Amino acid sequence: MKLSVFDLLRNICKDIDKTHRSNVCALTVTEVEELQNIFALLLLGSFVGLPSPPSFLAVELLPYMQKELEILSKRAQNANDMFAEMFGALGVG
Amino acid sequence: MKILFFTGKGGVGKSTLAAAYAWQLSQKYRVLIVSLDPAHNLGDIFGVEVRGERRFSQTLLLKEVDLKKLSKAYLKREIRVLSDTYKYLQILNLDTYFTVLKYSPGIEEYAMLTSIEESIKTENSFDYIVFDTPPTGLTLRFLALPQITVTWLDRLTQIRKKIIEKCYTIQNIKGPQSAGETILSYDEKDDGILQKLYSLKSNYQSLNRILQGNDCSIVLVFNPDLLSLKESLRLIKGLKELKLPLRLLLHNKISPESGETMARVEKEISNVTSVPLERVSFLSDFQTNKDSVLYHIKEDLTNIIHQG
Repeated sequence: MKLSVFDLLRNICKDIDKTHRSNVCALTVTEVEELQNIFALLLLGSFVGLPSPPSFLAVELLPYMQKELEILSKRAQNANDMFAEMFGALGVG
Repeated sequence: MKILFFTGKGGVGKSTLAAAYAWQLSQKYRVLIVSLDPAHNLGDIFGVEVRGERRFSQTLLLKEVDLKKLSKAYLKREIRVLSDTYKYLQILNLDTYFTVLKYSPGIEEYAMLTSIEESIKTENSFDYIVFDTPPTGLTLRFLALPQITVTWLDRLTQIRKKIIEKCYTIQNIKGPQSAGETILSYDEKDDGILQKLYSLKSNYQSLNRILQGNDCSIVLVFNPDLLSLKESLRLIKGLKELKLPLRLLLHNKISPESGETMARVEKEISNVTSVPLERVSFLSDFQTNKDSVLYHIKEDLTNIIHQG
């Protein structure tokens, strides 16, 4: 389907808007991921030697924690280069 | 329905007094006595084999809680939910990981707490539930569990709410999502974790209210010896911190020989609490008179406990 100039301009504007919106909330997204990471770490801390809530609490919540566990695992993998990750999120360099 | 916990150091006579008390109560009321002590001897005291549950008389039901079985049943239930959720991960030997959970500290206390909760909430046909508890350390741990758990749940709920708040902000900035993009749950109702946290919190708060309420009583049993005194003082302090209602002290196994130690023990305990104290002694004609009761225990113990 051939787009009119008007449609083309509208799509470009939409994409620019979307990109700006994504940029604006990039830091908040990182913050949410970190919070989810902290949440999972607090709940499952006993598995890595941290003081943790009663372990049955972790067992009760575990079925709902798929996303948090993924983030926890991703964070654990990137832990050796957290500065790069933070600089990336903050847009430094 | 009134709830009573018999606590104290190991070997002071908790089970015997709890059994004697339950039997006395059953002359007037419908009574359930639950043994939470892993070293069950309720059956031995009543001279019957309990094996889980047994009706001793029309008004007295005996119950021995098998903590290992309870922990296993609880873990099995949770593992089933987990396996359903993480079906695709089974390939990574997740089952092995879950079996490790049974060694996890706290599961037994939780099983014990669940058993108490279940008894309190389901056994409505009784006027009294008497719990014979394991020695001090474990008892304090499981009595503290609802409060500790609520504190943790509060902190976790705070973090969770913050996450949802931020997801809401992201959603607002980004606007409607196009196909293929992950939709963040930004409404409290859509967040499974938060809903579970709320339901757990309300559950533990209600259990805590019951344990701290007027219908619950804790009876502390001790002997005229210094070890028992020290542990009793620790228990009194622990119960105070947890705001749990200690309503009666039973000074058990006293005899004419225990004179000086008995006075010292009672003096030190009266320094830290003003709860009524009853002395329980062996009857001197116990060996000869077959019809006599084992302990000289007041008939109106119920009134002492429940007058407040």
